[in-house]
Amino acid sequence: MAAGWISKELAVILVPLITLVSGCIIGYLAQKTGFCAIGGFRDYIMFRHTRLLHGFIAMIVTAIVAFFFFHMITPMAFENFPWLVTKGVLSSVPGAPADLSQMAYIILAVIGGIGMGAIGVYVGGCPLRQFVMTAEGSMKSLWFVVGMAVGSVIFYLVTAGFVVGLMKSMGL
Amino acid sequence: MNNINDLLSGCRGPIVLGVIIGFLAAIVQGLTISAGGPEAYGFCALCHTRDLVNGILNIALGTSYGLAPVSKAAILPVLTMIGVLIGGVIAAKMSSEFRIKHAQIKDVLIYFIGGVLLMQFGLLFGACPYRAALRLGYGEVVALFGIIGIVFGVWLALALITRSFKGGN
Repeated sequence: MAAGWISKELAVILVPLITLVSGCIIGYLAQKTGFCAIGGFRDYIMFRHTRLLHGFIAMIVTAIVAFFFFHMITPMAFENFPWLVTKGVLSSVPGAPADLSQMAYIILAVIGGIGMGAIGVYVGGCPLRQFVMTAEGSMKSLWFVVGMAVGSVIFYLVTAGFVVGLMKSMGL
Repeated sequence: MNNINDLLSGCRGPIVLGVIIGFLAAIVQGLTISAGGPEAYGFCALCHTRDLVNGILNIALGTSYGLAPVSKAAILPVLTMIGVLIGGVIAAKMSSEFRIKHAQIKDVLIYFIGGVLLMQFGLLFGACPYRAALRLGYGEVVALFGIIGIVFGVWLALALITRSFKGGN
């Protein structure tokens, strides 16, 4: 398994602290900038405004550069970069429910994306924006975050099993 | 300090944050990957919320709701989204933009159901728009399908909303 910059024994203790600090930085700056991925697409499609969209594109470009740079220095911490070369063009980075075919993951990516995009427009922002609006005192967004929390449990009790079963019954 | 605030609220602000999230995510991966991964997991507004909720419930109630290996192995799950709330409150307080905005019952229902549904779609994809960007940056083509899906979903919702306005609703 991958070896990061610090040992496994240290990492399991520091994970909460590292992510807390990175979250604080992102949350602070997201409030200052109004950063929102879905808002970026929305503003571009509706008004051809590119301010937020440029932020999302900058994030993709920086991710490529940063992963490439750190992969050069410490290949073990980024061992499957670039994914399409090491694991195949149509394989998925783990994250979605396990044990499905490549085709099933592509279908889930498209369906999941469409659902997120559409709901995001109706509630006025992507998940990060909802957290930031909650931090600004919006009770609507607070309820959205509560919904996400309840949704995380529902996903494992209901949705994941249902969708995996459905995909398998269709031969995917 | 004023210059920094002007930069962030100006038209280049999101680009600055996009660059910072991209780098931070790679650094977080470098620091935490030996605890379990997955890769391209340095920042995700959806998956990190799921890890936080399910991880805390697993510790408190002894359940075994699904979460990423890194959060399962660590003493506590990833706390990114707690950090986002803390950072957001500090920023909002500093610029006097913190204001409790109450919600009506109708909004409470819509936003709550919206949160539940968005979580289901997002976890099927295994990413929010930001982790999709990270996965694409990591060289995964499937993430591109997801991003195309997001753009199509945004377009679809906007088309439906515009049509219902034209229909007089």
